[in-house]
Amino acid sequence: MSSETGETGKAGIIVAPEGANSMDKLAHSVLDDLLYNIVHDLLIKVHRDEKMARAATAAIKVEKLASDASESSTPDAKPDVRIETDAAIYEEGKVLLKGNPLKTTKEILCPRCHLPRLLHPTDGKGAKKQDQSIIYCKKHPYIEKPGYDIYGQTWVAPGPGRGKKKKDMEKKLDPDASPAPGEGGAKDRPPNVLSFPSATCSKCKRCILVTRLNNHMGSCIGNSGRNASRAAAQKISNGGSNGGSQNNDNTPPGSQKGTPLPASRAASPRKRDGDEFDEDGDDSDPNNPKKKKPKPNVLTKKVILKSKSQSQGQGPSNKKEKVKANSMLSMEQRVDDEDSKNSTVQVAPKKSTPKGTSPIKKLKINPSSKPPQPTSGPKKGSKRERDQESESSGTLSSPPQ
Amino acid sequence: MAARPATPASPKNSKVKAPQPGQPQYGCEHVQRLFNQDQATTNTSIQHYKMILRSIFDTTPLIPQTAKPMDSAAVTILTPTYLCLQCPSTLTEEDRAKHGHKKAHRFYVDSRSGGVYCQMCDDIVWDPTFEELRLRKIGTGTFSTNRKRKNEDELFAADPSKESPQYISTNTSIASCKANGLRGIYNAGATCYQNVVLQSFLHNPVLRNFYLSDGHQSSNCEIPHCLSCAMDDMFQDFYALENTNGYTAANILSGFWISDKKAFENLVTTKEQDAHEFFQFLAEELHERNGDGKKPETGSEHSCNCIIHQTFYGKLQSTTTCQHCGGVTNQVQSFLDLSLPLENLTQKRGKKNSGAAKGPAHMTLTECLDEEYIKSDKCEYRCHNCNSMQQARRQTAIKRLPNVLSIQLKRFEFKQGRNERAAKIDTPVHFPLQLNMLPYTNRARGGDVKDNYELARSCTYDLLSVVVHVGEIDTGHYVSYCRVGDQWFQFNDHKVELAQKSDVLGAKAYLLFYIIRSLT
Repeated sequence: MSSETGETGKAGIIVAPEGANSMDKLAHSVLDDLLYNIVHDLLIKVHRDEKMARAATAAIKVEKLASDASESSTPDAKPDVRIETDAAIYEEGKVLLKGNPLKTTKEILCPRCHLPRLLHPTDGKGAKKQDQSIIYCKKHPYIEKPGYDIYGQTWVAPGPGRGKKKKDMEKKLDPDASPAPGEGGAKDRPPNVLSFPSATCSKCKRCILVTRLNNHMGSCIGNSGRNASRAAAQKISNGGSNGGSQNNDNTPPGSQKGTPLPASRAASPRKRDGDEFDEDGDDSDPNNPKKKKPKPNVLTKKVILKSKSQSQGQGPSNKKEKVKANSMLSMEQRVDDEDSKNSTVQVAPKKSTPKGTSPIKKLKINPSSKPPQPTSGPKKGSKRERDQESESSGTLSSPPQ
Repeated sequence: MAARPATPASPKNSKVKAPQPGQPQYGCEHVQRLFNQDQATTNTSIQHYKMILRSIFDTTPLIPQTAKPMDSAAVTILTPTYLCLQCPSTLTEEDRAKHGHKKAHRFYVDSRSGGVYCQMCDDIVWDPTFEELRLRKIGTGTFSTNRKRKNEDELFAADPSKESPQYISTNTSIASCKANGLRGIYNAGATCYQNVVLQSFLHNPVLRNFYLSDGHQSSNCEIPHCLSCAMDDMFQDFYALENTNGYTAANILSGFWISDKKAFENLVTTKEQDAHEFFQFLAEELHERNGDGKKPETGSEHSCNCIIHQTFYGKLQSTTTCQHCGGVTNQVQSFLDLSLPLENLTQKRGKKNSGAAKGPAHMTLTECLDEEYIKSDKCEYRCHNCNSMQQARRQTAIKRLPNVLSIQLKRFEFKQGRNERAAKIDTPVHFPLQLNMLPYTNRARGGDVKDNYELARSCTYDLLSVVVHVGEIDTGHYVSYCRVGDQWFQFNDHKVELAQKSDVLGAKAYLLFYIIRSLT
């Protein structure tokens, strides 16, 4: 139509320059028509969504009035009343529109919960303050704000020493992410700042920070061998009641089977002492050599007691506490490594990390527990034996050397 | 062209859609009057509307776009025309008022959308009766309520007793309005390659409907560490809980670690892996949990009614023609996804571009598909007729299209030679929001299908999700985009953000998931 004569199409935005030849004009008017079509299609779509939502709102409102007006208590029954609002008529179980719902109806009710929909996001682009006096439908417009997700949530950057990677560093750059998941972080944080949760390993039932879960499962379940799974299975049967406390550190598969009996015998008197202090179910596992090791003297025992009661007080389900403990672990371990250049730890620090949780934590809580260790002669001997079998035990025995 | 002759002699009376709670009965007062005149008016209105929809969606656009004003010559325009619901006139927007004034015809159908314009409202009206017909035409292409695609019938075989509203309300629970399936998944340490695939499964309507309708109930399954149960639990958590925090896919992860699939042994390490391999792993694992128990073999034909086969699997047919005797051999094989090599095309482009200015080399998805499923290649082949090795031409086409078409763009290639390392091809590949797969099917080979709009529509796919690999081959990261309704979202591990279409289309896709339009 317009292509015959005009310099532009129906939208009138793409105009051929003056003195353009007819092909130029044609091209401009075709392009302009196509632009018109794009806008037309978009408009039809938005119009449909909006008008149908408003029409449904008008219907919901008048139906509500009708069911309120009727005495019948059954919600499904169609009340035999005639109700009229500005936007619709309810009659014989039917809703008939009055006028154009785009004009008569201003709000939108959720077709499911019948509560008004919040029409603007509460934060970020296009945000408006919401009316606190109104209970809105829980489906809110999505938030578009840099550094935040569609629900306006952001995440605490992973703490130091927790396997820092490039990705983690990038997350730290998020403008409003609070950097320290430190003590009492959960309380200080605004509710929309989330921290990384922990999850239970389906095999060993330990609680692992989510960012380490894959690593953990790789060594616990994965192809790091039959021994790993065997050890984990035994752990489950032995200490099933411990419910994922971080103290349930498992021993590397090799040492669990391989730890010679003499070691456990030698440790047994004190071991039992220790057991009385920590009521965590897993500690009664006599095959767990690591449990014995850090308890050669009274001083250490006290420390253990302290750490146990601490963790118990906070309950095994307190994930945040566990997260914190883990972060200390990693930091402490590095210190540990530096101390002991000749230790066997360097063999595979990665593997030992998720396993060595509890002993290292004890070290952290009372660093002075290191010096007394050498005094316990018989203990040391058994420790040495274990060193050859497990790099994780090595971590612990190294400081005395 | 039309599926059925739309003669008014049809014995059945057309019915207005039954009133639904929470919905007005008619689009406006004027449509209400139209439908309440008498049965004959209702019949002709509905039949005319069907006819108009057919002419809009099933014929060449030339017909509905040509307006025939009463007093002047016919004119074809690009912009929308209006087809009178009450007589066979097609009008431009300008002539619409005149026509209405003269003939007292008040309803017109917009030639681009099929929406009904009411002259008395001076607005498009969305009448439930008309709208149902329009959506059905756009979707399955037929007005009948019987579903067209056989697959879906098997999948969601309806037990009539279970269709009653009473049964549904007593046996289902209504999820909160907040539970919408939009949650991130925490990275459990180099698991973003899993997260992107899981997100694309979570926002796949076919899989979602299967799991949310108790297709695989984790409470009834006794297989330990069953991945399908883990999927079931995940779907429940995403679509039934109000939680907006990220999801910890611990069960998927442990199921993955525990899985004793020998073929995937090398996949099981704590290093970042290939998302496509994980997609194949997950698909095959879910097939084994839900399907006929046979292992899907690559290179053979495998039909199964499991959810994975009904969602992703299609069939390819390769035709080999002996150049000596002209004998033809057909071979059919099932496919889970289409893998499109980029290297050859990239090299060709490189040669072409090296002569001219060095613009950024890019190509399109259709070019890649043309290369694989339209063009033929030469090969050596042992001909049965000639009983000797002969030169042959081989050509592959799609025999059966899947409901969800997954396409892998082979960005990671092992380069033979020098240091034999895998390299990433970073060439942008443009991909469309809607994809017509008809040219790549063997039906397109048969005859003239150019003007068969119905067939073309049944082969039309809409983009559903995109998996993107950013960065280098070893240190990279995966993110994905998924569409929910018309809105796109970006999933970056636990973070979900709104995305624009331009973000999606500008991404250097690695995996693409398209869903057949007739299902949506």
